[in-house]
Amino acid sequence: MKRTLTALALSTALSVGALPALAESANPLSDERVRQAIAYAIDMETIVDTLFEGKAIVADSMIPNGFWKADGLNTYAYDPDKARALLEEANWDEDYVLDVVFYYGDQLTVDLMTVLQSQLADVGMQMTYRKLEGDVVTQLTAVPETGSDTSAVDWDIAYGAKAALVMQEYYNVYMDGHSTYTPTDDQRNELIRRINGTADIDEQRAAFVDFQKLENDALSDIPLYYQQLYIFESDRVDRMGGLYGNAQFNYDWGILDWEIEPDENGKRILYTNKGPIQFFFHPWLNPGLRIGNKVLWDRLLSADGSLVPNGPQLAESWEVSSDGLTVSFDLQDNATWHDGTPVTAEDVSWSIHTALKVPALNGVLSNTFSSIEGAEDYKAGNADSIAGITADGDKLTLQFAVLDPNVLVSFGQFAPMPKHLLGDVNPLEFQQHAYWQNPVGNGPFRIEEVKMNDFARFVPYENYYGGTAKIDEIVAFPSEDNDPNVVKNAAAGRLDYGFTKSVADVQALEAMEHMRVIAADIPYTRSLRMNAYPKQPD
Amino acid sequence: MSTSAALNRRFDKLKALEESGKLKSRGSGRAFRKLLSNRLAVLGLVMFTIILLASVFAPLIAEHDPLRVDLRSRLLPPSAEHWFGTDMTGRDVFARVLYGGRISILVGLGSALLAAVVGVGIGCYTGYKGGWIDTVALRTSEIFMSFPQLILVLMLVAIVGQSLVNLILIFVVTGWGPMYRMARARMLSIREEEFVQALESFGVGSIRIAYKHMLPNALGPIMVNITLTTAMFILAEAGLSFLGLGVPLQIPTWGNILNAAQDLRILQNYWWIWLPVGLVISSFVLAVNFIGDGLRDSTDPTMQG
Amino acid sequence: MLTYTLRRIMILIPMLLVISFLVYLGLELTPGDAVEYMIPPDVANTLSREALDELREALGLNKSFLERYWIWLTNVLQGNFGHSTSGGVPISQIFLDRLPATIELSILALFFSTVIGCTLGTISALRRGSASDSLLTVAGMLGVSIPEFFFGLVAILTFALNLAWLPVGGRLLPGYETLWDRLPNLILPALVLSLMMTAGVMRYSRAAMLDALSREYIRTARAKGLPEWRVNFVHGFRTALTPVIVLIGFRLPTLIGGSVIIEQVFQWPGVGNEFVTAVRSQDYPLVMMIALFSVLAMLLASLIIDILTALIDPRVRLE
Repeated sequence: MKRTLTALALSTALSVGALPALAESANPLSDERVRQAIAYAIDMETIVDTLFEGKAIVADSMIPNGFWKADGLNTYAYDPDKARALLEEANWDEDYVLDVVFYYGDQLTVDLMTVLQSQLADVGMQMTYRKLEGDVVTQLTAVPETGSDTSAVDWDIAYGAKAALVMQEYYNVYMDGHSTYTPTDDQRNELIRRINGTADIDEQRAAFVDFQKLENDALSDIPLYYQQLYIFESDRVDRMGGLYGNAQFNYDWGILDWEIEPDENGKRILYTNKGPIQFFFHPWLNPGLRIGNKVLWDRLLSADGSLVPNGPQLAESWEVSSDGLTVSFDLQDNATWHDGTPVTAEDVSWSIHTALKVPALNGVLSNTFSSIEGAEDYKAGNADSIAGITADGDKLTLQFAVLDPNVLVSFGQFAPMPKHLLGDVNPLEFQQHAYWQNPVGNGPFRIEEVKMNDFARFVPYENYYGGTAKIDEIVAFPSEDNDPNVVKNAAAGRLDYGFTKSVADVQALEAMEHMRVIAADIPYTRSLRMNAYPKQPD
Repeated sequence: MSTSAALNRRFDKLKALEESGKLKSRGSGRAFRKLLSNRLAVLGLVMFTIILLASVFAPLIAEHDPLRVDLRSRLLPPSAEHWFGTDMTGRDVFARVLYGGRISILVGLGSALLAAVVGVGIGCYTGYKGGWIDTVALRTSEIFMSFPQLILVLMLVAIVGQSLVNLILIFVVTGWGPMYRMARARMLSIREEEFVQALESFGVGSIRIAYKHMLPNALGPIMVNITLTTAMFILAEAGLSFLGLGVPLQIPTWGNILNAAQDLRILQNYWWIWLPVGLVISSFVLAVNFIGDGLRDSTDPTMQG
Repeated sequence: MLTYTLRRIMILIPMLLVISFLVYLGLELTPGDAVEYMIPPDVANTLSREALDELREALGLNKSFLERYWIWLTNVLQGNFGHSTSGGVPISQIFLDRLPATIELSILALFFSTVIGCTLGTISALRRGSASDSLLTVAGMLGVSIPEFFFGLVAILTFALNLAWLPVGGRLLPGYETLWDRLPNLILPALVLSLMMTAGVMRYSRAAMLDALSREYIRTARAKGLPEWRVNFVHGFRTALTPVIVLIGFRLPTLIGGSVIIEQVFQWPGVGNEFVTAVRSQDYPLVMMIALFSVLAMLLASLIIDILTALIDPRVRLE
C-alpha cells in the first residue's frame, strides 16, 4: 500500500471503498512455529534493560501480572538457536520479507523497530517496517468477510497496544466477525463466551487462565511488554493522602483535598496539561484521559486505583439483584449541574440512549449498554427507547437481557451529560455540538474561562454536593494525549501534575529536583499482532 | 519569492549594478571583495567536495554499519572506536552521518536538478515560442508559486504520503516555478538577439534553437539557481523531519538524525548525537551558498567582456 | 491606474477558483477521512463498521466529489467557511482565534529583521571592503544555513532553560494576557523566525545603500560640506530604504508559511500550528481554508506591491 504520485492518477479511477480483486498467496505466519520462532528471537529482557532503561516490564501474556495471570506460562526467553530450529522445521523461506507496521510517531518506537529488525536478522528473518499513514484504522483493523480465510489487511505484523479497562477487552477482539488477524475458531469463541458470561470471579479467572494457556502456544499476539503509567507532580503539590492509580481513567484521586503552595499573589493554582485545543473531547470514548473529563463531570460510582467500583458518587446508593440482571441507582438529592439545574435519573437515561448512537463509544460502555433489555431493538431502530431503562425522579433501574460482568466498572467511568443542554444533539455529530466549546458539568470544578489553544481555567464549583475543593484554580495548557512539551514545561515550572507513558519524558522528569514521578501499574500491553490467516492478499 | 515582475526587475537591476562592480568601485575595496568572494567560493567548493566524497565513499570510510544495533554499547561518547559516539540503539553516529549524507544530498541536489530540468525545460521553450503555450505555462507557475512554500509541501505530503521518492517529487513540484521564471526571463531577452533571428531565417527548428542555441547562453544563472535551491531543499528536508512529515524515520538522513535533538534529554546530555550532524548540515548548506555566490559573481553576463 | 488595478484583480479571481479546485481535488485523493482521525487506533477495534459508515454519512463524506466541491464553494462565496470536522468549530472562529497570534509573531519578526538587517546592511555598505563587511557577509550566509528548528531548540535550551531569561514557549497565561505581558514569550520565536529574513534584508539594504551613495545628489551633498553622518543617514539611508521596505512588505505573507515550524517549536498557537494539526488530523475543510487564505494573502500582497510599483513607475502599466 505504498503510496506514490502514480497513485494520485490511479485513485481517481478507483471507486472509494471497493476493493480491487487481489491474488492470494499462502501466509507463512499462519504456521504456529514461525510465530514461536519470532517470540524466541526477540530479546525483550535486554531491550527493556537498555532501550527502555528499565521503564517497562517484560510480558509473557496479554493479561497483566496479578490476580488474572495464569501460572507456568512459557516466557519465550531469548533463545536464537531454538528460533532457528523452529524456522528450519517450518521450512522458513529466507527470502520472505516481513512487513511490520506501527502507528506511533515517536523516536523510541522507531528505535524498537530497528532493534527487532536486527534481532530477527540474527535468526535469518528479514523484515521492513513502516508507519501507517492516512486511513490507519482501516489498514489496522479491516476484518475479512465471513467465512473467508484470506486476511483483509496487508501487513504481516502490527506493533501496537491494547489499553484495557477490563480484562475481557484483551481477548474479545478475537471474536467471530471482529478478528482482524487471528482466524476465528470454535475454541476461541467458546472461551470468549466463558470470560464474558459470568460475574463469578473464580469462574472468570478459570476461563482467563485457559485462554492464556491457549494463546501462550498460539501467539495470536506476541506480548512484548507491560507499559506502566507515570504520574508526575511538582513539589508544590500535596495530595493529602489522595491515591495514585490508573490516571488514564477515573478513580478516587481525592482532588477535593489536594493542597498546593500559593504563588506570589497568594493564589493556589495547579498547572497541568491535556487541556482543550479546539474543543473539549467528550468523555464517552476516553472517560478520564483529559483533565476536563476528570474534573468537570462525575460518574455514578467512584472507583479505586485499579478502577474497581468502591463507593458512591452521583449515585448515593446502588443495588444489584442476586442474578445480576437488575441494577438500580439512587441519585444524590443535591447534585446539580454547574448552571444550577438538578441532576436527575432522566439525564442518565437520556445519556445511555444517546451514547448507544454515538459512533465513538468506549467498548466497555458499549458492551454494558447493549446488554440492557431492548437495547438491540433500540439500536436497530425498532424501538424509540430502551425497554429495560426506567427513570423516576432520582431513581434509575436497569433491566439486563444478558449478564454483563462489567456493569459496575462501566458506571464507575460513564459520565452522564445534561439533557437540558444537549437534548437537541444529533448523536452522530455529538462531538460537533457547541456544548463542547464550554461544557457545563456536574463535577467538583467548573469552567471559569477558556482560551482555546492557550489555556483553560477551572475553579471549584461552589454548590458541589461533595464539598468545595481546597485549591483555588486548575490551569490546563492545551495538549494532545502525547504531549511533546512535557519536559520543557516541567523544567520551566509550568506543570504541577500530569501523567505520561513516554520513557524519555520519565527519565528527564526524574532528573529534575522539583518533580517526583510515581509509576502506576495499568492494564496496558504492547504486543506484536500476528497476521495468522492462512492466506494473504498479494 | 514570486509574482511581482516589476519588483523583480527593480531588484535585478540593483543586483546587476552591485555585481557589475559599479557599486563597489574605487580601488582596493572592490578588489578585496572579489578576492574574498572567490576565496569563499573556493572554500565552499572544498567543503562541498569533502562532504560529498565522504558520503559517496561512506562504506570505505566508516568502519561500522550505520544500521548495526548494539544495545550494550548505547549512548557512548566519542572515542577512537566511535568517532562521533553512539546513539540510543548503539549505532555508530559517524557512520550514520556519512550514510545520511547520501540521502540528504540526493534529496537536495537531486530535487534541485530535477526542478531545474522541469523548470528550465518548460521555460526555455515557452519563453522562446511565446503565445498561448507561454501563457499557460506562466499561469501554471503562478498557481504553484502563489502558495507559501511550506504550506504547499505539507499539503502534498498529506496527499501522497511519506516516502523518499514522494519527497523528491514534492520538492520538484514546489520548486520548479522559480527556475521556470528565471529561464523564461533569460529567454525573453536572448530572443531579441541577432543570432536568434539569423537562425530563424535559416529555418532552424524552434526546439533546436531554444535548447541548442539559446539555452547555453543562460546556463550561468541556472547554475546559481540550482545551488541555492539545493541549499533550500536540504534545509527543508531537515524541517520536515522535525514535523515528522519528512523522509520515513527508518532511513538515516541528516534531518532524521538531527531530529533526535527534539528529546530534551538528548539535547542536554548527549551532544554528540546532534552537534556533529548539525554542524555538517550547516557547513554543507554554507558551502553550497558560498559556491552559489561565487558562481553568481563569475557567470553573470554583465561581468563578461 | 484604475483599469490597471481592475485588470489585476480580474486575473486573481479565476486563479483563486482554479487553486481552490486543485486543493479540493488534492485532499480528495488523501487516503482516509476525518472519521479515521476522530477514533484513535488504540480503541478502534471495539467499534463496528456500520457505526463508522453512519458517521461518514452524517458528515456528508459519502456524497460525490463534484457535489461536495460545489456545496463547499457556494458556501464559501456566501461567507460560510464551514466547520472543522474534528470539533465542529466554525473555521471563521478558528481564524479569528489564531490569526492574531501569527500576525503579532510575524510583525515582530519583521521588525527585528528590518532593524537588524538594515543596520547591518548599512554598516556593511559604509565600510565596504573592510573586515567587518566581509564578516557580516559570512555571518549572513551562516544565518541562512542553520536549520531553523535546530536554532530554535538551542535557543530554548540556552535562554529559557539554562539562563531562565525567557519562557520556554506558549503565548498566554491567565492574568497575563496583554501584549506587554506576552512580550517575553514573543521575543525568542520572533528572533528565530527573523533569522532567515535578516540575511536577505541585509543583502538588499547593503546594495541599495551603495546604489544611493553613488548618486549625484549625494556627491552634491558631500561637496556642499555637509557632515558625513548627515550625508549617509539623512540622504543615503532614506533613499535606500524605499526598495527595502517594498521587499519587506512582500515578505510578510511568506512569513505565514515560514512560521509553521517555529510555531511548533515554541508552542505558539498561531495559524501555522493549526495547519500542522489539521494536516495530521486530515481535517479537510480546515486544511483547505488555511491553504486558501495563505494563498489569498500572498496574492493580495503581490497585487498591492504591483500597484505601488506601477504608481512609482508608470511604464509598468503598459505591460
